[in-house]
Amino acid sequence: MRHPTRHGPIRAMAMLVALATLTFSFAQDATEVVLSIGSRGFGEAAPVLIEKCEQQIGGIDVEWNRISDVPNESRSVYVTNFTARNDDPDVVAVDVIWPGDFAGRGWIAPLDEYFTDEELSEYLPGFLEAAQIDGSTYAIPLYIDGIHLFYRSDLLDKYGFDPPSTWEELIDQANTIVAGEGDPDLNGFVSMWAKIEGLFMNWLSFFQGAGGSFFDANGNVNVDTEAGRQSLETMLDILYEHELAPESILTYRPDDARILFQQGRSVFLMVQDFVLEPLTSEDSPVRDDVGFTRVPYFEGHEDANTTVIGGFLLAVNAYSDAKEASAELIRCMTSQESQVQATLLQGKVPTRPAVYDDPQVQEERPNVAALGDNFLHAFARPSAGAGTAYPQISEIMQTEISAVLLRQKTPEQALQDAERQIEPLLQ
Amino acid sequence: MRQANRTAILFLIPALAVITAILLFPVVQTLALSFGRDTTSMLRDYEFAGLANYRRLLDTPRFVTSVLNTLFFTVVTVPVELILGLGLALVLNRRLPAQGLVRMAVLFPWALPTALNALMWRWMFNADYGLFNAALTGTGIVEPINWLGSIPLAMYSMMFVSIWKTSSFIALLLLAGLQAIPHDIYEAAEMDGVTAWSKLRYITLPLLQPAILVAVLLRTMDAMRAFELPFNLTDGGPLTSTETLSLYAYRAIFQYVDFNLGSAAIIVQFVIIMIIAGAYLITLRRDSYA
Amino acid sequence: MRDPVPARPAAPPPGRRSRSRSGRASGRGRLGLYLLVAGTVFVSFFPTVWLFLTSIKSQAQIYAWPVEFWPSPATLENYREIFQVSTELVRYIVNSFVVASGMTFMILAVGGLAAYSLARFDYRGRFAVLTGILAVSMFPPLALLPALFDLFLEIGLLNTYIGLILAHTGLYLPMAVWILSNFYKTIPRELEDAARMDGASFLRIFWSVILPLSRPGLIATGLIVFIMSWNEFPLALVLMTDNAMRTAPVGISLFPGEFSFPWEIISAATILAIVPIMVISAIFQDRIIGGLTAGSSK
Repeated sequence: MRHPTRHGPIRAMAMLVALATLTFSFAQDATEVVLSIGSRGFGEAAPVLIEKCEQQIGGIDVEWNRISDVPNESRSVYVTNFTARNDDPDVVAVDVIWPGDFAGRGWIAPLDEYFTDEELSEYLPGFLEAAQIDGSTYAIPLYIDGIHLFYRSDLLDKYGFDPPSTWEELIDQANTIVAGEGDPDLNGFVSMWAKIEGLFMNWLSFFQGAGGSFFDANGNVNVDTEAGRQSLETMLDILYEHELAPESILTYRPDDARILFQQGRSVFLMVQDFVLEPLTSEDSPVRDDVGFTRVPYFEGHEDANTTVIGGFLLAVNAYSDAKEASAELIRCMTSQESQVQATLLQGKVPTRPAVYDDPQVQEERPNVAALGDNFLHAFARPSAGAGTAYPQISEIMQTEISAVLLRQKTPEQALQDAERQIEPLLQ
Repeated sequence: MRQANRTAILFLIPALAVITAILLFPVVQTLALSFGRDTTSMLRDYEFAGLANYRRLLDTPRFVTSVLNTLFFTVVTVPVELILGLGLALVLNRRLPAQGLVRMAVLFPWALPTALNALMWRWMFNADYGLFNAALTGTGIVEPINWLGSIPLAMYSMMFVSIWKTSSFIALLLLAGLQAIPHDIYEAAEMDGVTAWSKLRYITLPLLQPAILVAVLLRTMDAMRAFELPFNLTDGGPLTSTETLSLYAYRAIFQYVDFNLGSAAIIVQFVIIMIIAGAYLITLRRDSYA
Repeated sequence: MRDPVPARPAAPPPGRRSRSRSGRASGRGRLGLYLLVAGTVFVSFFPTVWLFLTSIKSQAQIYAWPVEFWPSPATLENYREIFQVSTELVRYIVNSFVVASGMTFMILAVGGLAAYSLARFDYRGRFAVLTGILAVSMFPPLALLPALFDLFLEIGLLNTYIGLILAHTGLYLPMAVWILSNFYKTIPRELEDAARMDGASFLRIFWSVILPLSRPGLIATGLIVFIMSWNEFPLALVLMTDNAMRTAPVGISLFPGEFSFPWEIISAATILAIVPIMVISAIFQDRIIGGLTAGSSK
């Protein structure tokens, strides 16, 4: 028979050690935070920033859930996740037009308790607004993109033109150049006018450039105005009167327009800044001849904001079980240091004005630094004000604008129909 | 007899179990949601709204357009695919030179994932730098055609892609059916000097009928539910001329997060498919299933 | 059982091999046939060939204007880049393979039995079951998405092979059952009756008599559902959110950027992703056609 007391102390020791290890590991247990962000849009910066932030914050373990960068696709995944009240992912990268929608549905958590007003003031106000609903902030800007006017600097130089600042000038210049070159393959203007979100963005640019404002002071939709008509008529003129744009422009997504311009077949290009990299790359036939400037306004509206912005923000899943850790991660990933890193690594356009002045950024990514000026005239789409009705409003506008451009409706008719359909949604 | 029936049911149970688990719950959920208001699940915060969603649908011209588009698409593509598929199957059933190559060729269109396929055709159809227009304008005779940007050409282009892709699926189904027809019958017919056309009409087609029925049924169901093709090829454009029912439902559910409207649209789609399928089964079914 | 066919004399003397169906096709008919075949091959192959050519062109060439048809020079840099941009492509393809194989096996097993039950046995409600199965399968996968996700989340089947296999099986089982039950009906009853009289159990009959004879049908169905599972997108997207578990089509859908669609990489990735399907179908195509002699020796 074994004598119990001889093994007693050993067993006790063992148990103590086990207990200690257990509690120790419990205390060391890192909070898992699942970050959902695209692998192409942020793929180079993400691993670097994640590692850095894990170290800086300590006690968190970030898992990177790669999601599609195509907003439609990631949106369907998010809708499925949120309606099922999944607690993963904790931190989600949201397109700029989603916070109003997601917040209205209670899918993302307000971040006011984690960020002070002072911290928030360091981000581009035009961008942050898109995430501020009813006085609360629901997402923090990560990176931005905007629509700019790109042009063939060689052609403009050849005809002695400065980059146009008004639409009237642009149309003049395009007409002259196309007539002068006599090249049947050369178009005056190309953009992304398929029935997509980008069409609404494009039109908003024209609209604001004519002094328009989507919502009036009382929050009612206000597109059936002189500005609304002028914007549509100019688009029609570019297409049919001056024949500056190919008719197929109505099937174009942003990259289609980029390809046409890259093939040297257009004088002007109005599209997001993602085109800078491919257009100036080794492979591009136009690599040395690309210039960019702010999207034009109409004569008499110099102060108009015509740079429509897109981009991504980071938000916290309302059903997450790690909200505080998530907020910390967001703070770290959108910090000055992180944004500089992202810009240097991947050319992401930052959402902190201070980053544009960073000397390293100016040296290594001069294009990004130059874009900063255009973002002084940035404006976001009316997504925050529209809340959960935004997807429908955008769809209505896209359809009406398309109908005008396909010459199935007059501008007046379309704008009236648009207002008629949008009003009930805003109740 | 009793033992036979018991075995029969036993054989059936695994399949029914899987189908119930995977398909039945979502189907019931969709039905429930179509009668609901402001809900995304019948298990949580469900509010009954009767036929409200269906009434809303009928009031939405865009929904009606999508139904008509889908019906048009189905009514044109299915017969064409059937005829082409049948032709292909008959050809494949013979001894041919490079038989392996031909068989592979037939499978290729169908083996590509639909989404990618549509994107590739979209690229080839591009009016300015796509392959087709490049070839056309190269001849110097023809102007570039706006394949996907004109109404109604866009719909025809989409139909073409569908026919290209699924004729081979039908060929595959019918081919296996052709295999099952014993040679003796043909040989006996040949000995009697029957023409090829008569053989086709009086021997092949009748014997192939069950396979044809299945092929047409499946293809009709698929055509009525077309989603990845319109989504990637035209996104329902220009305007709404190629928007199918599924695309409409997708928008309702994932863009507007209106699960109730989208579910109602899906139920309508389902009912239409049921009616068409029922029509097939009643008029074309001669073999014993009852 | 089968539709009435004009009564024919007994089978011709054995040993006489059957030639091509039309036997005495004229020279012109032959030419027409060859033209038709050539045309079919061209039209069928062409887009995939275009995709392949794109995958071996340089980026500059892909977007060049005027359009350059042939790669000059041909390059493998796109394939190399895939493995840099996404080293997980191989993993994705393996996942697709696991899911598609598992699902095919399950469908043939479960569906094969069910189809036999529905094709051969006479019991009340048989037609109702058949129609019911078909009916539930008429719902678009779209409708299944949120509900299935919710269900799998509760049960914990997300990000598991068995979960997606089950989902795909459910999705394509009705179709498989319909196709297979048709095949079973073309098998003469006499064989089964004979085996029955010898005292074989139903399972035994199914295994030894029915299965071998329905091989063309099984292989065709297996091929069809394999390819369908391989290419399935919406459910795979939503039920497998873990990177390591993603299937090929979903993995490839991660290549495009928000605005850009890099054909150079995507064409290469797609070619890689359909190679397994091609290989498998090449192997099995022989079996399907090879079923020729099996079917006629009754």
